[in-house]
Formats: sequence, structure tokens, C-alpha cells
Amino acid sequence: MAVRPYWKGYLKLSLVTCPVQMMPAISESEKVRFHTLNRETQNRVESRFVDAVTGKEVKEEDEVKGYQRGEDEYVLLEDEELETVALDSTRTIDISTFTPRNSIEWIWLDTPYYLSPNEPVGEEAFCVIRDAMEAQKMVGISRLVISRRERAVMLEPRGKGIVLWTLRYGDEVRGEAAYFTAASEVKADSEMMPLVQRLIKKLTKDWNPKMVADPVQERLVDIIAAKKKAMKRPAKAKPGSSSSQATPNNVINIMDALKKSVAAESRGRK
Amino acid sequence: MVAPRANWKGYIKFGEVTCPVALYTAVSSSERISFNTINRKTGNRVKREFIDSETGRPVNADDQVKGYEVDDGRYVVLEPEEIAAAVPDSDKTLKIEAFIPCSQVDTTYFDKPYYLAPDKTGGEAFALLRDGMSKAKVAAIAKTVLFRRMRTVLIRAHGKGLIAATLNFDYEVRSSEEAFAGLPDLKIEGEMLELAEHIIRTKKGSFDAGAFDDRYEAAVAELVKAKIEGRSLPKKKAPIASKPGDLLKALRESAGLSASKSKSKRKAANANTSASRQKAEKPSAKSKPAAPSRQAS
Repeated sequence: MAVRPYWKGYLKLSLVTCPVQMMPAISESEKVRFHTLNRETQNRVESRFVDAVTGKEVKEEDEVKGYQRGEDEYVLLEDEELETVALDSTRTIDISTFTPRNSIEWIWLDTPYYLSPNEPVGEEAFCVIRDAMEAQKMVGISRLVISRRERAVMLEPRGKGIVLWTLRYGDEVRGEAAYFTAASEVKADSEMMPLVQRLIKKLTKDWNPKMVADPVQERLVDIIAAKKKAMKRPAKAKPGSSSSQATPNNVINIMDALKKSVAAESRGRK
Repeated sequence: MVAPRANWKGYIKFGEVTCPVALYTAVSSSERISFNTINRKTGNRVKREFIDSETGRPVNADDQVKGYEVDDGRYVVLEPEEIAAAVPDSDKTLKIEAFIPCSQVDTTYFDKPYYLAPDKTGGEAFALLRDGMSKAKVAAIAKTVLFRRMRTVLIRAHGKGLIAATLNFDYEVRSSEEAFAGLPDLKIEGEMLELAEHIIRTKKGSFDAGAFDDRYEAAVAELVKAKIEGRSLPKKKAPIASKPGDLLKALRESAGLSASKSKSKRKAANANTSASRQKAEKPSAKSKPAAPSRQAS
């Protein structure tokens, strides 16, 4: 596990406490990642903070969080002060309630994390909690402060670990009644039902992560590969390439620039 | 009630059956506490500015393009049109590619749920699909262009309607097996498991999202108040982990097995030591103990 834990703390069931760590189950690391460039110079674009009034750059050490009190009035809160806002749920996932796994509808699931013991000393306690939930087909409900919000969380055993889901707040899920109105009241035609059943059966497959492949990312990878090739061609001085027009001006040193020039020349400017 | 506006309108297609449907956002992110970043020196808010990393000059949004780094400092530039061209044209159709057993659905792929309802006259075909899936205990996988992005959605029956959840792509979801690969193969059995199961049964309840309150916001408000009044709030102590040797004892105590009950059991010697300690802890068990006990935080 090379991934640095996103959060470290304790998992607690009554008087049993064990050190745990958590990491997001969703990761952007495999995504084709772009940087923002300045089209004119081809240099990287950076962001910085400037004072909204003076327009001058604000150094990181001068940035402080402000809690808005009045129109232009803020109570400044230093990070150390915010750390004193230590609800029990900042460091400890204390499982208060257990509920049957199927009693929490999927629509409440917000963001998944993987929870695992952080030190060998806690492994057995972790496994006790995990295996007991599994044996009872229950999930645990607790609270946890993530990104300065206290969230309801659900703990579900999974393999050797536990998946922790943040659950949506009550006012975040819209009532369905407004959406499933008269048109949804229609009853399915009982004579057609067997046909639908047969069709469903024919099209039923086992779940496979390939079902969520991303054709667009694959295409982007191809585009990038083609462009990269076009970039390199002049460097290798291969004649016959006509892609210099489309190639971005990514000159990094004079040698490259010269090689490109030579290649362009030898092509005789088609 | 005003009819809600659809976020997307199109068709759902299974086999040769097509029916007009609409998608509605089912969830929204509520804004809770928010801070502004302030320049400590001036007390003014700060704003983000984009500058050229070499020249230091501001770069307008129009001049910002995406670049993919191929070598150190060398980029393949992709214009917005090129990226858009990689997304296929929308045929406005959720074509069901497969049904999968609900029991095989891997929830970690879930991104955002939408209510999927029949649009205009689509009711009958919609009902067939909904009831058919419900009866077969399957969910449907479909791909379509949603909001200019190619998305895979998982469609399942939900009461009178359907819910379509966008799914994260395969490369976005970390494998749980890999994440948990370093954990020991430890299977808990016997008394420990029984005790833990007992504790779970005593804590059985239900989750009511509506009754959940975010206490963090109130705590920050308290901090702000303290700050205005020039007070500082006390720091919390870190919890103390159960030691492996104490685990069984902690479980017994958690399970509410009193000392006398434990004594009557076979492991009397063990129970005795735990009993004496348990007594010492008891008075402070409900209100947070001032002195840290061995197991409780």
C-alpha cells in the first residue's frame, strides 16, 4: 500500500478501540491528466492568490480562514484553533448503531473509503468488529468529521477490510414523489411480462469491470499518442512528415530547435 | 406542486423496445459551513489568479489550453474542440447493454443517482422494464452521453420508478482487494465473535438521515464565539487503543457481562482481574472519564 492514508484515527465499538486508517476508494490517479498551459507561450499556468482589494500576491503563510460575521467582517480562525474543534468524531469512529445491510438504500451512499487497521496492535480488534458485522449481516452507523463537516457514515465489511461510506444528509436526497407521477403508475402488461423476462434473461451477464471502461479516455490516449509521435518525428529527422503545422511549438532547447529546423528544411517545405 | 424540470430527456432502449424517459437529479450537495480565505495582513479576501509560470503574467481563461505532459517539460496540446470531438455524438438513448444480478452490483462504482421517469407516453414500456428487472432481481447497464460526457449508468427498479446512477470508470475505482492485501488473514471465532455479535445485537437500530445533525457547524460557531470573547477552547485527548491482551476483556465488559456473571463462568481467574478494573471504571463510564481508562477513550 503505497498510498498515503487520507485519514488516521480510531475505530471504536463500545469499549473496544483500535487504530485505523482510511483512504478514498475513488482515485483520479489513472485518469489522463492534463495541465493547463498558456496557449501563447506553451508554459504551464499556475494559480496564485492575490488580495481582492490591493491585487497584490498573498503568500501562503498570510492566508488565514475567515468566518464571515458581517458584510466585510470576518473572524479569523487559525488552523490550530480549528483543530480545537475536536468532536469525538474527528478522531474516532464510534459505532453507535447497527442496522441490517439492506435497510440503507443505495441512494444514501455518497463517497466510499477503504478502512483498515493502522497498527498490528489493532488488527485483532478490527477483525472482531468486521467479522461480527458480517456474521450478523449488519452494517455499522457512526459519525465522522471529514473536510470540516460531520458526516453520518456506514461501515460495511468487505473481504479483509471495511468499506466506509459517507451517507448523504437528509436534505440532500430529493423526495421521489414529485418525479414518479401518473406516468409511472401504469401497470405492466401481464401478457408481455414473460417476453420481457425472457429478454432480460438473455441479456443478463455477470458483472465485469470492463462494463465501465471509458471509450473517451481510450480515444484521448490515442490522440495524445498520435500527437506525440508527430512531435518526435522531426527530431528523428524522418523525411516525409507533414505534421509540423499541427505540432505545438514545444521547443525545450536549442538542439531540439535546430533538429526540428533541419527536418523542416529537408522536407523542403511542402 | 410545480412539475420538476428534467435534467436530461431521451430514450431508454432494451432489445427493440424504446420508450421516452427523463432524468431528474435525485441528490444535491448541501452547503454547510464555509470559510473564506483572508489575507492576514490586510483583512481582505483573496482571489485566485492564473499566471504564466515563466513570465508571471496573468493568463485569461481564453488563453488556457490543456496540455498532456509527454516528457519533462514537453506537452501535447489539446484544444477544447479536440477533446469534445473525442466524445461521440449523443444519440439521446440509454441503450441497455446488459443486465446484471443486483447481488453482483459493486456499489463502490456509484457516482451520482438520478430519478429516471417515463416522459409523456412512455409509461407502458417503462413499467415492463421496471417490473421485469424487479422480478428478475437485476439492474441494467447502459452507456450514453450525459451532459457532454460519455457515462455508464446502472439502472435499477425503485418503487414506481427507476433510478439511474452514473458509475465511475474502471480506472477510477481502487481495487478493494489490493487496498486490503496487506491485512492479515485473521478469522475471528469462538467467544470473541459471540461477544461482539451480542454487542451488535444490543445496538441494533435504524438510520434516519433526517434526524442526523452536523455538530461540527455548531462547534465552529462555539469556537467563533469563544474567539470573539477572547477565550480558548480546551484540547481533546487522543483515544487509547485496546491492547490485544485486553481485547477479550474489553469485549466482555462491552457486552455488559457483569463481574458476577463472568465469575460464574469457567474463566474465573480472568474475570476476577477484569472485575476489579471494571469497578474502577464504572462511575465514569457514562460521562466522559476524566482520567483515561485502559480501554475507553
